[in-house]
Amino acid sequence: MLPGYPYSIVNFLHYFFFYLLFSLPLTLSYRNTKVINFAHSNFITYGMYTAVFLHGLLGNTSLPAAAAAAFLVGGSMALLNNIAVFRPLERRGASPSLVMIASMGLWIMYNYLLYMLADVAHFFSRKNFVSYSKIAYSDVPELSIAGFTLSQSFVASMLAALGLVVALYLFLEKTRLGRAMRAVSDNPVLAEVSGIPRDTIVNLTWLIAGGVAAVGGAVWTCFSGTITPQSGDAMILQVFTVSFIGGLVSLLRTGLGALAISFIENVGIAALNTYLGVPTSFRPFLTFATLLTILIASPPLGAAGGLPYRFRRRG
Amino acid sequence: MIDVVGFLVSWLTLLGIYSILALTLNFESGVSGVTNFGKVLFYGVGAYTAAALTVYLVLILNGFDVGRTPPYSVEGIVALGQLAGQNPALNLALFALSLVLAFLAAGLLGYLLSYPILRVGPAFVGFTLLSSGELMRIFLQHFEPVGASKGLMSIPGPFAWVPEPRVRELAFLGVVLALLALTYVVMDRLVNSPLGRTLRAVREDEVAALCLGKHVPRLKATVLFIGSGFTGVAGALLAYYLTAVNPGMFVPAVTFNVWAMIILGGMGNLRGSLVGAVLLTLFDRLLTFLTPQLGITVISPDYVRWFSVGLLIVALLLLRPQGLLPEEPVRTPALEELEVALRGGGSG
Repeated sequence: MLPGYPYSIVNFLHYFFFYLLFSLPLTLSYRNTKVINFAHSNFITYGMYTAVFLHGLLGNTSLPAAAAAAFLVGGSMALLNNIAVFRPLERRGASPSLVMIASMGLWIMYNYLLYMLADVAHFFSRKNFVSYSKIAYSDVPELSIAGFTLSQSFVASMLAALGLVVALYLFLEKTRLGRAMRAVSDNPVLAEVSGIPRDTIVNLTWLIAGGVAAVGGAVWTCFSGTITPQSGDAMILQVFTVSFIGGLVSLLRTGLGALAISFIENVGIAALNTYLGVPTSFRPFLTFATLLTILIASPPLGAAGGLPYRFRRRG
Repeated sequence: MIDVVGFLVSWLTLLGIYSILALTLNFESGVSGVTNFGKVLFYGVGAYTAAALTVYLVLILNGFDVGRTPPYSVEGIVALGQLAGQNPALNLALFALSLVLAFLAAGLLGYLLSYPILRVGPAFVGFTLLSSGELMRIFLQHFEPVGASKGLMSIPGPFAWVPEPRVRELAFLGVVLALLALTYVVMDRLVNSPLGRTLRAVREDEVAALCLGKHVPRLKATVLFIGSGFTGVAGALLAYYLTAVNPGMFVPAVTFNVWAMIILGGMGNLRGSLVGAVLLTLFDRLLTFLTPQLGITVISPDYVRWFSVGLLIVALLLLRPQGLLPEEPVRTPALEELEVALRGGGSG
């Protein structure tokens, strides 16, 4: 019997779905655009706040409506980032680390812009948006399977994650546009030479990446107890570690990474808690240890400008 | 009546501390290409090393049982306040010891953290250091011996025995500026040396530098050791200046503030970092003076301030990526000789 059963198993699957929703777009955006986007957590947070503002200001209780709005918000943010910042920088021949620093600047901007928006919304509605409680949606059912009741958020995140995986698979494997996207990620120059409009593909990638992460954020609002403007940032360690396991290129390995990190964070910490008395607040340390282990034992060689081989001491 | 001297002293002290951070970050990131997004980690380690060492040793050496009256308890804080001004020699000795240990602790941490990030690119380096900083904060929030989320308070400063507050502040300011000068000289010597040139080579193309026989891993470890060590000293100075440390002071925003300084001043130019630090800390201080005058506003001025830091970074990278002072060639004796020879050749 696994420790913490059944909650650890339910949470394990639950977080697995969320990590798929958050990390797959990150991997997708890096492998198509070669931009490491620190502002990725903003897409998640803005997705959450799209749902929060719709609920708090307009009284919306439909999750699909909130998710659709979140997709538009996140997607247009990502598109705007690319058109206003990343593309001009790349045109100028800026190094990848410079582009990364710019994305960090964007991250701070978006973060505090959201605080300002929450302040303004508070001024008009007298509601506290800096710490918003869980939203109960009217159009997501609870499921009951074999005596277990699956919560609203479980159903919603499962549907969203499965939908994302199926849609991504069909899009990348079966459509012309998806094949063009894979060509751009494999070899941008060759793709451009064979007549693929690289700019369009990159824009489309940002739209999808930002949008999907924001949808994940919108779904998160029916799961998390409190939503703050830092909620997305709080998950950045897990989201990036999952993508790093995929080497920032492989979608399949990113999925496995989501499985692994979710397992370590839920079942692993439950086991440590039961047998060794480790407090559950040590969760992020397990993830960080995993990150360091991966970087030392099996680094994604050559990823994001690193050395394409390992250093070995000669005997 | 505005207290001009008070303003100047507080501004210059903070400027000194931030300048050390900006100089070392420029050395690590601007010159050597180690994208250090975890500046606050080493800053925090330095601050907590100094703070914990001082409060514990002051209590122990004065015969307190820290098991029963720990420095973070109310009795401990009161006792520290009473003991602070009694023994000048002890205060100064503890200050010196803390600076050395803060340097070593932060430096060693930097040295160790350089190992996992050797083989991967800037994205992984930046992210790993960033999350290390966040984890340190989470750890400190839960670690009882350093006061958990309340932190440590009433840290006896090196000049706590000076009765006149203004003299005390000025003396501390003198120490800060002296350490800033030391940092500047060390960084300047390192950058304008064959090592500095090698580091720039690593920044531009790691593989090429490696092929030319440069030991890239050792270079990166050296850079992180020296840079983080001085950052630790800056952290220790901060702890003594504020006489309190708590985990809330070491948020990632601090790192980005320093990044904004070096981008504003010019990546790879040490004097640029000083200019950037002057401009941003002045802006900061003026805002803290102005904020109370505004009264209650719809949007907190704090948010506007941080938003403008992000905007500054993005706008500078887009419009003036070289910063106010562009990078200069490495000044080594060999280069000077070459210039003299060239000038001589031109005229004669």
